[in-house]
Amino acid sequence: MSVILESALTAGLAALAAGVFWLLGWRLRRAYALLSALGVSVGFAVLYWRVQGRPDFPPIDATQWVFWHALLALPLGWLAGIVPAYRWVWVWGALLGVLWLFVPPFRPLMESGFWSLTAGVAYIVGFALATWLLMTLTAPLGEERGLATPFLIALLGGVSAGVLFYGAKSASLAQLSGTLGAVVGVGVLLAFLRSFTIGRGAVALAMLLFMSLWTTALGFAQLTPGQLVVLYLLALTPALRLLPAMQRLSPAVRFALPLAIVLVVGGAAVGMTYSAYMAQSGDTYSY
Amino acid sequence: MRKQTRFVAYLSILAMLVGSLQSTQAQAVTYRVDPVHSFIIFRVKHLNTGFAYGRFNTFSGTIVVDEKNPANSSIELEIDANSVDTGNSQRDDHLRNPDFFNTRQFPKITFKSTRVRKLNDTTVEVQGNLTMRGVTRPITARVTFTGKGRNQRGQEIIGFETTFTIRRSQFNINYGLNGGLADEVRVTFAVEGIR
Repeated sequence: MSVILESALTAGLAALAAGVFWLLGWRLRRAYALLSALGVSVGFAVLYWRVQGRPDFPPIDATQWVFWHALLALPLGWLAGIVPAYRWVWVWGALLGVLWLFVPPFRPLMESGFWSLTAGVAYIVGFALATWLLMTLTAPLGEERGLATPFLIALLGGVSAGVLFYGAKSASLAQLSGTLGAVVGVGVLLAFLRSFTIGRGAVALAMLLFMSLWTTALGFAQLTPGQLVVLYLLALTPALRLLPAMQRLSPAVRFALPLAIVLVVGGAAVGMTYSAYMAQSGDTYSY
Repeated sequence: MRKQTRFVAYLSILAMLVGSLQSTQAQAVTYRVDPVHSFIIFRVKHLNTGFAYGRFNTFSGTIVVDEKNPANSSIELEIDANSVDTGNSQRDDHLRNPDFFNTRQFPKITFKSTRVRKLNDTTVEVQGNLTMRGVTRPITARVTFTGKGRNQRGQEIIGFETTFTIRRSQFNINYGLNGGLADEVRVTFAVEGIR
């Protein structure tokens, strides 16, 4: 089977898995919060398994924690779905939960001496705080009807894949990131169903997994802190739609503005990493 | 009197044992791997078409050679995974990434022999453990003695070469297995030891 066909099949299977859970959540409203997060969780797990093979538990290779994050963070996704009723649980429970998730993947970098203890602790705490904030600010987008939210997240996955491919020089992290966008992108098709939303849990968990991939690329591959910051700000961009000033604008403008930012800034980021990649060597290495 | 005689006898046996142990040890010679005149190269098939070759530029190790009793011989190698060199800096960066060696977490590749068995005058079978990307797997290789002599400084030198094949998937290196890059990687150690 060709590499392209194999990748398409992987994306299709992962998206199908997510779509099934979201359709179930659309019909079974009482389980909606859990099924919303479960769609991303199972979709990403299917995707990872096909791209990287079966991971160990606990992982010997720290980059495999990305897979386990999809499963271990499921309660956080579910919590994001019910947060309006349990705000204080989200503030403390989710923050500590995210912090707990980010310790095991990065501890080996301190053990191997790549990061000093101080730098490692600062990175882990910084990653956890930034991830929790991103999840908090973007989760409400999951309650918005229409295709804007899944479309913008799918686009973010595409930009992220480009930056990880040329910037971090990791084909597998790029494939995981791009296909995660495709998984959420299934919501674009489902958005045509009456009153369908992908849910707060799906958005929160997708953002956590993007952060898990980006921080892995920073720690273990060659993503620079600057590139990570650009990707982070792009991930926050869809949340602009929730600002009171934006709420007063027409739905088309509320969609077009973050779309334009992601396209322009994201396009520039991919273009710059591509140029730097090509400038590194006269001989082109196409993986 | 009888006790004294028995004590002397024990002492004699102990002296003989120590003596024989010392003579065994005296035959085992330790060489340090000379990185300038040693090579660790590998090849893997790309897109089921041609072979891509690469090498590791930085490594160290010791070879213990016991010609009288080859079972006492041993070899230990430590390779700096970051020194991978395929003649293309972009590909080398990719090889250092989590797709392949994940060198930030696993900066070293090691080999430690566990058993050496003589096959003929110039060949031994070496069994040992290869550790790469945090995974240790036993491997067996036929090692050929390639020569012995002295270098320009008058130091004793000895040469060995071996080629064996590993499956990279056994070391959790799974990137591109679907047709991009073969699972089988042929590895050659051409080592010169210096004493």
